[in-house]
Amino acid sequence: MSLNRRTFLKSTLAASTALALPVPAFADDVLNVALIVPSPAADVGWSHTLELGTKALEAKYGDKVKVTLLENIAEGPDADRIMNKTAADGTTFLILGSFGYMEGGLKLAKSRPDMSILHASGYKTAPNFSPFGARYYQGTYLMGMAAAALTKSKKLGCVGAFAIPELITSINAFTLGAQSVDPAIEVSVVWVNSWFDPASEQQAAKALISQGVDVIFSNAQDTPSVIQTAEEAGVYAFNLNSSMKTYAPTKYLGVVGTDWAPYFLQSVEAHLAGTFAGASAWLSMAEKCVFVTDWNPDIPADIVAKIIETEAAIESGAFSPFTGPITNQDGAEQVAAGVTLGDDMILSMDWHVKGVTTPLPK
Amino acid sequence: MTILAFILAGTLAAATPLLLAALGELIAERAGVLNLGLEGMMALGAAVGFVVAYTTHSHVLGFAAASVAGIALSLVFATLALGFMANQVAAGLAIGVLGLGLSSLIGKPLESQTLDAPGKLAIPVLADLPVIGPLFEQDVVVYLTFGLAVVIWAVLNHSKLGLIIRAVGENPHAARAIGFRVLRIRLAAVAFGGAMAGMAGAYASTIYTPLWADGMIAGRGWIAVALVVFGTWAAGRIVFGALLFGALSLGGLIAQAAGVALPSQLLASLPYAVTIVMLAVISSNRRRMRLNTVASLGQPFAG
Repeated sequence: MSLNRRTFLKSTLAASTALALPVPAFADDVLNVALIVPSPAADVGWSHTLELGTKALEAKYGDKVKVTLLENIAEGPDADRIMNKTAADGTTFLILGSFGYMEGGLKLAKSRPDMSILHASGYKTAPNFSPFGARYYQGTYLMGMAAAALTKSKKLGCVGAFAIPELITSINAFTLGAQSVDPAIEVSVVWVNSWFDPASEQQAAKALISQGVDVIFSNAQDTPSVIQTAEEAGVYAFNLNSSMKTYAPTKYLGVVGTDWAPYFLQSVEAHLAGTFAGASAWLSMAEKCVFVTDWNPDIPADIVAKIIETEAAIESGAFSPFTGPITNQDGAEQVAAGVTLGDDMILSMDWHVKGVTTPLPK
Repeated sequence: MTILAFILAGTLAAATPLLLAALGELIAERAGVLNLGLEGMMALGAAVGFVVAYTTHSHVLGFAAASVAGIALSLVFATLALGFMANQVAAGLAIGVLGLGLSSLIGKPLESQTLDAPGKLAIPVLADLPVIGPLFEQDVVVYLTFGLAVVIWAVLNHSKLGLIIRAVGENPHAARAIGFRVLRIRLAAVAFGGAMAGMAGAYASTIYTPLWADGMIAGRGWIAVALVVFGTWAAGRIVFGALLFGALSLGGLIAQAAGVALPSQLLASLPYAVTIVMLAVISSNRRRMRLNTVASLGQPFAG
């Protein structure tokens, strides 16, 4: 069932006017799952991949699980109210699809120990509250390798939403991947300071192209704004989460995709078995959460072979993109030779590697 | 595409949706009606324009439908503000929210779909000029919008119709006393504003960024409202403000891409700050300001 905020509000209203009626009893053997996402669930993008994850639950459990999608829910008090309402309606497994739902979700988790809650991109944990995220940087490193092989100007670009560690990490790995193929590569970044503003994103892409950038990383845009602009201008582009190849049939570099199904399945299984334990899950290629696909056929064969080799090394854990020596923008050594950055250092990254020409906003 | 070409060509296109909406609002405000629902009317126009252009493969039909949608929503506003003499600020805000809600409902089935943008039209000779050539390689709506700005300026300042609109806005009682039907003229001005806002939305969703995404207007309706006020209800200054805003927002992105050591947040807020300051300075002549301000703006009129 798909609900948007408005129809949901309507049903809430209808429910509250029918107070005299008994609360609907839910059959014991049906698990009610709710997914709350901040943007409208479309055919592409972040919300879409989460929705696909819940589809896997439906596919596995059939009638035993009922998934409710609550889309376009703004972060804030409204979201708290809606998640409490869905909990009161019988949802015991809740997936919160945005960072901003953290405090409200945590409060709900504490008052409802019978519920299990998954929370995207957060950092707080409770016995029945697990934050989860994807190691996008593993994929963007590989994209960097491909980009370096295709660029003629040796200038790559990135349209970024907000300068937060998750996005900075992706850009740094992208840069390091490119430099592993060609050390002379430079990367320019334009922050649009918005999760959602297609017109600005498109202008940012054009601004990069006008400065000679010929491969663009669409970092955390949920619409094809950047990909579409790149195709029109004849430069390569890639994005995160779900493939946008149909929007750029000739110039699509590839996608760093995410598949939440294994994690959701495993979490629901634990919930049903009563063994759900709150823990931070930063999912990787090894867990089949992060993957790369839809590679552009223009990428030369020797680079493809190298990418496949690196991909296998990342997946097996033999290689991490953040292995020293790594120099920062100021030319100082940030990671010593042979040292691999720990997760906490990657999760709080607030510096750019050498080769990123744009200063990081403080 | 060079950096200069990007700024020159990009500025006109970036200013176009703002200008379309602001020119419509200018007429409404000159007639004495403050319609703050611009953002909602633009969003509705964007959704309807996109859906129609997507299904019929015709941008012209998309624009036509968007202007009809804008008029329809502005008439709801007019019913409240002119018919029932409701507070114009409150009614406008309500219409804005309604428009945003309707736009996400209407656009829902086509979320994240894209369209082909119509081609650019290069003006012979002018487009071949060195340096400023890129200014003359735009889509047809850009030319029409800037042409329309001239027409609106001429109508407001040099025609009988303009005098009537201004009379109704300055002193509706006097206008009424000499036989003008104040409410009808205001209704027409509001409807014109709605049509323009609808088309501004359609430009954003079918030409400028040819895709539908809920919330894509992202505050541009409010910028248009601000342009009218800070441009002190003069068409020329509104055009200047829209161009300045467009140029600065592109300039900020260029500066970031070029690695200028300024925080991106500052660069992003520059267009707003500079546009307001510039327009405030230009309009700082007190006497002219008093002359330009629409005397009965926002006041209900009992017909």
